[in-house]
Amino acid sequence: MVTKNDIDIFIEKIPPTPKVLQATMILVNNGELSKAAKIAQSDLALKSYLINLVNKPIYGFRTEVSDIGQIFGILGLPASQQTLYNYMLTLLSPKKWELFKLNEKTFGELQAHLSLKWKKILEHLDIKDKEVESAITLLPASIIVAEALFSNVKKDVDLLRSVHHLDYNTILKRLCGTSIFDICVQIANKWDMPEEISEIVYSSSGLNPSSNKEIDILAKWMHLLLFYELSKPMFVEASLNDFIDFQIDYVTDIYEEFSKLMEIE
Amino acid sequence: MRALVKNGIGVFTPQGFLDGNNTSTFLSLEDVESTVELNVDMVLVSLKKVIFFNKNGLDVFIKLFSKIRQAKSITVGFCDLDHKKYIAITKFYAENINFSIFNSFANASLFSSSFKNQNKNVLLFSDDKSQRTAMAIELHDAGHNPIVCQNFEEFHEKSANKSAYDNIIQDTYLGQMGQKVATRVTGNAIIYTISAFLDTEIGNTFNIAYHKNSLNVGFRLFIFDAYKVVSMNIHALNFFSRLATSAAEYNATICFVGLDSTKVQDSFQETMEDAGIIFYAQMEDILGNKKLLEELGASSAANIKNQRSLNKAIVTKLPDFIDATVATIEMMTNSKAAKEAIEVNKIDIKETEGKIASSIGFYGDIDGMVVLVFPKEIAKKACELLIGENTDDIEMILDTLAELVNIVGGKVKSLLGDHGVKVNITLPRTYHSIDSLLEVAKDKKGVQVDLVFDNERFLFFLTR
Repeated sequence: MVTKNDIDIFIEKIPPTPKVLQATMILVNNGELSKAAKIAQSDLALKSYLINLVNKPIYGFRTEVSDIGQIFGILGLPASQQTLYNYMLTLLSPKKWELFKLNEKTFGELQAHLSLKWKKILEHLDIKDKEVESAITLLPASIIVAEALFSNVKKDVDLLRSVHHLDYNTILKRLCGTSIFDICVQIANKWDMPEEISEIVYSSSGLNPSSNKEIDILAKWMHLLLFYELSKPMFVEASLNDFIDFQIDYVTDIYEEFSKLMEIE
Repeated sequence: MRALVKNGIGVFTPQGFLDGNNTSTFLSLEDVESTVELNVDMVLVSLKKVIFFNKNGLDVFIKLFSKIRQAKSITVGFCDLDHKKYIAITKFYAENINFSIFNSFANASLFSSSFKNQNKNVLLFSDDKSQRTAMAIELHDAGHNPIVCQNFEEFHEKSANKSAYDNIIQDTYLGQMGQKVATRVTGNAIIYTISAFLDTEIGNTFNIAYHKNSLNVGFRLFIFDAYKVVSMNIHALNFFSRLATSAAEYNATICFVGLDSTKVQDSFQETMEDAGIIFYAQMEDILGNKKLLEELGASSAANIKNQRSLNKAIVTKLPDFIDATVATIEMMTNSKAAKEAIEVNKIDIKETEGKIASSIGFYGDIDGMVVLVFPKEIAKKACELLIGENTDDIEMILDTLAELVNIVGGKVKSLLGDHGVKVNITLPRTYHSIDSLLEVAKDKKGVQVDLVFDNERFLFFLTR
């Protein structure tokens, strides 16, 4: 169904970070937002992504914001870095989604929702670390990996899942000895993302708790946040709700705090 | 969302958060209806992976349950929940609970007539005395041994010794239970559970297509579990007499268990006996007697009155059957198959040692049976994906093999459907040894395809 060779081909195909994006990223990391904006202007795809993102209803701006300098200013330093990582991830996402009923717009919605709620969580936990803020951007990579590896065998997977409850992560692990989250770590490495980002996302599968307490707590919040978002009608309809197993026991100790923060009634 | 069907129960497993906004996207009436069509005894929603739900969320499920119960008499409700969730649900619906709640899927299975494992020691407790009684009766009728605790202290004390019981039931509520004729397979026998007063309605609740196909697949012993039958009228009598007559054409036997003269008139019983139906007082009288079991069902495959042969319609679809089988085994083992030989003849298995087999029937525009003979190692490898580990537990391998053959059947159905041929599939059947397979299939003519997976020979046989 899916072989180790398929995984190798997928990893091989991960594009390197485009030069303009690389340069923009370095300037953002150095806090030089206006210089970064000038460079970003020259990449039309990046420019269009940033304008579309900031003008989503969830950001709540009444008039359209179209100046890149202004966008970086509004987002601030950590969120700008996060947005650039989100953009990188869209380079990996398929033109046409087959396994999940997603498209560029709905995938963008998921990224935006996760980013904003992750920010809220970090404010609540009083964590001010731009690498940790950016960690959430790698999480949707797990969805892209599942889409890339399983879209050609959708019918087979459906049949398999009709007789046995197996999520994509378990199927991949049992077939190839590699999990979706192992592949996410490889993506992060290829894109030179800080190690902390891949560590948090790796543990957020809920299956490999980190021995580092701080990272483990963040991974729990991330796991719960993912399933909070995947319970939204739009993503249930996209067949995303059960693409990986929700590890309910892993997050039970933070649930009360989470539900208060998200105002769940 | 698709249900997973096991032990005659269709289970939907939503994850995360359930509220009024999203529940209808998790589960639609079409999802539930397509599950009911799979001949299930129960439709349940598992709350194992739900961390939050409110009443608005559950209301959507309850409305669906109610529609399904009105249309089909099957058990509906929730399973896999802890004490907190149980209290929340019973509080939401208070006196108006017309669905069932089971604290685990394993405990729900005890109440399913399609659950093949009986004689479980079950410790049970409910605050509600009528519920305690209802559960004890249902469990007893299903062949288990219920141990009822009268108060929580007693339950607390007894449940501390977990190893003394196979199952422990609490936080469980029986709503209206199913009334359709439930079916389960035990070895070479098919057991139908019937209950209450039997009248003309038996013609609607009994799945005649399934029964006929079981005859075609090679089942020869059909037992009606009639412990819960109160009585029957002339219409039901005629129905069973006709059933016995048609079974005789296949040299099959129909038995009734638990139906005595206190339930039916002597003249009815005589008519049924004349039609070839045999009566037993206890299920154990048949299932516990291996020699009798053999006499009743396992040795008659060669004597089918209407021995059927392959026809053009089925042979032209042979590539679909082989493709479905090869693709499934390749998918499960991540290895490539090579075809060695194709021959039209009676099944020919060169070496019978260390092999197990499985079969699945199909019926509709065309009908027949696919038999797969596995070397144990291939079977184990193919099942590893489903089990998650390498095991030597033969019962577990056979159970998983049945799931695998179900996938083959599903793929056959889908491939034939793509070519405009509509079929349904039966429950899969597994065979511990080649001898038990040959009792059913040795005289059948069919297409045999020898395949090689990782240097191990694997046999595919298509017959009618």
